[in-house]
Amino acid sequence: MKLRRFADKSFVYLLLILGAVIMMLPFLFMVVTALQPGTYVLSIPPNFWPSHPTLQNFVDVWTANNFGRYFLNSAIVATTSTVITVIFSSMIAFTFARYTFPGKTPLYYTMLMTLMLPTLVLIIPQFVLAKNLHLLNSLQGLIVVYSAGIPLYVFLLRGFFEDIPQDLADAAAIDGAGIWTLYWRIMMPLARPALATVTIFSFLGNWDEFTWALTSISDSNLFTLPIALQFFQGQHGTQYGLVFAASLIVVIPVIAVFVVFQRHFIKGIMSSAVKG
Amino acid sequence: MRSQSLKPVARAAAFTPPRAGILQRMRKYAPIYLFLLPGTAIFLLWTIYPLVDAFVMSFYHWNLNGPSTYIGLANYQQALADPIFIQAMKNVVLYALISVPGQLIFGLAAALLLDSAVRFRAFFRTLFYLPVVTSWVVVSLLFTYLYNSQAGAINYILYDVLHVIPGYIFWLGDENVALPAIAFMNIWKGIGWTAVIFLAGLQTIPADVYEAAKVDGAGRIQRFRAITIPLLAPTFMFLVVMLVIGAFNTFIQVFIMTQGGPNHSTETVLTYMYTNAFANVDFGYGAAISYLFTLLMFVISMAEIRILRRRSQY
Amino acid sequence: MRRSIIILLATLMAVVLPASSMAATRTAKSSLSGTVTFWNTYSPDEKAALEQKVIPAFEAKYPNIHINNLTLPYDGTFTKLITSIAGGIGPDVVRSDIIWVPQLANINGLEPLDKYSWFPSLRKAVFSGPLRTTFYHGHYYGLPLDTNTRVMFYSKSMFQAAGISRAPATTTEMLADCAKIKALGSGKYCYSEGGFGAWSIMPWVWSFGGNLTNKTFSKATGYLNGKGTLAAVNFLLGMYHKGYLSPNILGGGIGTWDGFGKNYAMILDGPWTVPFLFKNQYPSSDYGISLVPKGPGGSRSVVGGEDIVMLKGSRNKPATAAFMQFMLSKQAQTMMGKVGQMPVLNALAHSSAFPAYYPIFQQQLKTAKPRTPSPEWSKIDDTFTSQLSTVFHGNASVKDALNSAARTVDGLLH
Repeated sequence: MKLRRFADKSFVYLLLILGAVIMMLPFLFMVVTALQPGTYVLSIPPNFWPSHPTLQNFVDVWTANNFGRYFLNSAIVATTSTVITVIFSSMIAFTFARYTFPGKTPLYYTMLMTLMLPTLVLIIPQFVLAKNLHLLNSLQGLIVVYSAGIPLYVFLLRGFFEDIPQDLADAAAIDGAGIWTLYWRIMMPLARPALATVTIFSFLGNWDEFTWALTSISDSNLFTLPIALQFFQGQHGTQYGLVFAASLIVVIPVIAVFVVFQRHFIKGIMSSAVKG
Repeated sequence: MRSQSLKPVARAAAFTPPRAGILQRMRKYAPIYLFLLPGTAIFLLWTIYPLVDAFVMSFYHWNLNGPSTYIGLANYQQALADPIFIQAMKNVVLYALISVPGQLIFGLAAALLLDSAVRFRAFFRTLFYLPVVTSWVVVSLLFTYLYNSQAGAINYILYDVLHVIPGYIFWLGDENVALPAIAFMNIWKGIGWTAVIFLAGLQTIPADVYEAAKVDGAGRIQRFRAITIPLLAPTFMFLVVMLVIGAFNTFIQVFIMTQGGPNHSTETVLTYMYTNAFANVDFGYGAAISYLFTLLMFVISMAEIRILRRRSQY
Repeated sequence: MRRSIIILLATLMAVVLPASSMAATRTAKSSLSGTVTFWNTYSPDEKAALEQKVIPAFEAKYPNIHINNLTLPYDGTFTKLITSIAGGIGPDVVRSDIIWVPQLANINGLEPLDKYSWFPSLRKAVFSGPLRTTFYHGHYYGLPLDTNTRVMFYSKSMFQAAGISRAPATTTEMLADCAKIKALGSGKYCYSEGGFGAWSIMPWVWSFGGNLTNKTFSKATGYLNGKGTLAAVNFLLGMYHKGYLSPNILGGGIGTWDGFGKNYAMILDGPWTVPFLFKNQYPSSDYGISLVPKGPGGSRSVVGGEDIVMLKGSRNKPATAAFMQFMLSKQAQTMMGKVGQMPVLNALAHSSAFPAYYPIFQQQLKTAKPRTPSPEWSKIDDTFTSQLSTVFHGNASVKDALNSAARTVDGLLH
């Protein structure tokens, strides 16, 4: 019996390790290539370990190619739009969870319906709108559009606000506190774990956004990392060492955020599924 | 959706007398509406208005810098007779048929493994999840490199090391292979997400249900079929709907890896819409394509929910 | 609490009001000052010459004008340009592929130049052939900036290994050489071509006596599906089936530059290839340049090159005009000419300041032919590419595919 359980366990771990290797192999090639000197890295057999490891590719990308600027642009845009998204969507979610008012149901369902839309189908009218509002070719234009992804977070946060015990809110309400106090002083601190989830989600989405930035930005000083990366690849063709060094600059912050906050992250994803 | 009636209703109502007049009602709801305003304004301006605007545009030969001409249903007629549009529609369906079951099967397998592993579960979960948080741009560039038909690592591993393919495959160059190749990459990227959602579903199944079945003499496979599968039905439904939407959303990976080629074999509705709008400046036609697509999407999502609901009734 | 509201309102305003601090603003100032944004698709060497020599020289001459240079990859730039023009956020001046000019003029994106007083003298100063590429519906929408064509680059070491003494002069000789190169082993290809676009394929079509359209660019049937075109496509298809032509033509393989000398013995490419080959591990003696092998239609290549165009949406036309004139000065043309941008000035036609490899390109240009100047060019090229792809995938016969392509292109030419 014991032996069988041991065999079972070993089998599970064997499969897990196999799966993990398959999942990690592409990253291995990316890192190895980025750490190798020489521009021509397409070779058979491919290297599984860097020959003559060097950080030169990273230095070249960061210094000679303005990636510092792109990094800053991405950071500004992703942070600002995340703050806006979290505040605005939590305000709406809180109102939906705690109040009834005329128009509540239609508004909520309209938001839910738009979740089914591929976001990109709106890019044509959004482009026209941004042109008319002079928001093309500006970081604000990016921020506004990224902040419009509110419905998903309203949907996620509403459940959390509903789960906050009523007596806590009641205690505050007795003092005659208004809607703002209730939201800012009582609910927001209590919803901190949920807000963390939403913050991470939103930040990653904004950090990685490609298509709107590609379409609306034409000034190279305003490029964000994803589009800079795509142009960079176009210019350097198959100098994959440089391309992957640049890619890692884009990916490493995201992976760092994920690894540090993954408890919140996974919890948020799980609850979205269970609630949905 | 949880029931509203269980909660004490209308916080604001507590402070106002019943049967309020219009003015009083205004006063009662004003703070609430004010509170909703900022987020709702952005939502209405950047989602709802464009939705309506696109509908209007789709009836015009749209000119961005001058007067546009009303052409009725011509854009729609053009789309329905456009062989590339039809091909793009077929392509996204094929893409979904490959990538959705792939992610479901491997995701479920990964979830079951993670669920039965006691040690290092978080560690493995992190590894499986890393592709999910990696940006599409990076993943697309990476796989363009790995899929190289003459010197790529994937051909090397499959042919030179494992001998499971008869020769090098032209992953992104072959009209019959390019779309599945991108869909396989999508499976790799999506397994982690699917697994985590399945894991959430698995953890809602109480352990004593399994114990009871075990006592009754149900084998491992029987337990899986009789308990796990039916109890995972809601999770399954959620995943199918989300993954199909995701597959239909395919844009970045095609835009970067193949630009819709070779010969439109990887053209998706969104890449075709984008080309028409932003390379051919035919905004009206692009809008018509996106409307037809939205419609299709909506019908499919509703159909999925209906079918899957009926299935999970018993 | 009040403070929080203020913060919230401030955030909202920052978002809703298009403040100028973060936006890219280009204000038009008095003439001959301000910023001029220049887009181009120069190669790294050319970009270096532009940024380190040409622009400093210009800015020394016009100290109040700042040139904002953006060098983009060729792929995707045309779409980016169209999108930017549509959105009113385009650059001031563009180094445009000659084949883009009719398309850009057609969407009303370009400034006609013939109304400017400085135009006539420049018009007379440049080669008349390239100048024609800027003419559309009665107006000149630009000036030629550089000209080029594709010639054959061959790897001497691969030729030597295969026992070939010189570059093939005819397509028949080429086939014989290819058999020898194939014998070098797997992964070695005689010839590599980057795709099925007209830029890639038309040299062969013309060399076999075929054509894309008639002389007035109004009809494709009888030309695109004519005997010569058929022979050219069959020639390439035969090379592909015999393993002479690299499968990289389908896409997703080793690029022509990356494989040259290692996997590929011959490629066709433009003058910008030479600085690249010099710089990257190939000893300069390892490659040779020759004319496109002669077929029944002669040795024919494709006319390439770029025009410099002013965008209609430019907010600083006087300064832009000054920059355009400077780019066509002897000084700038010589600077760029040294890194592979073949000049277009009559005055420099016999200059000795240019690299030793220019004569062969000049010789090839004498028999080279232009692609169809049409506002529908992108669609024509896409049709051509798609049909050839179908043939190489074995999904249609050469004849059917070309018939179908000719029909579609006929529709696009009207």
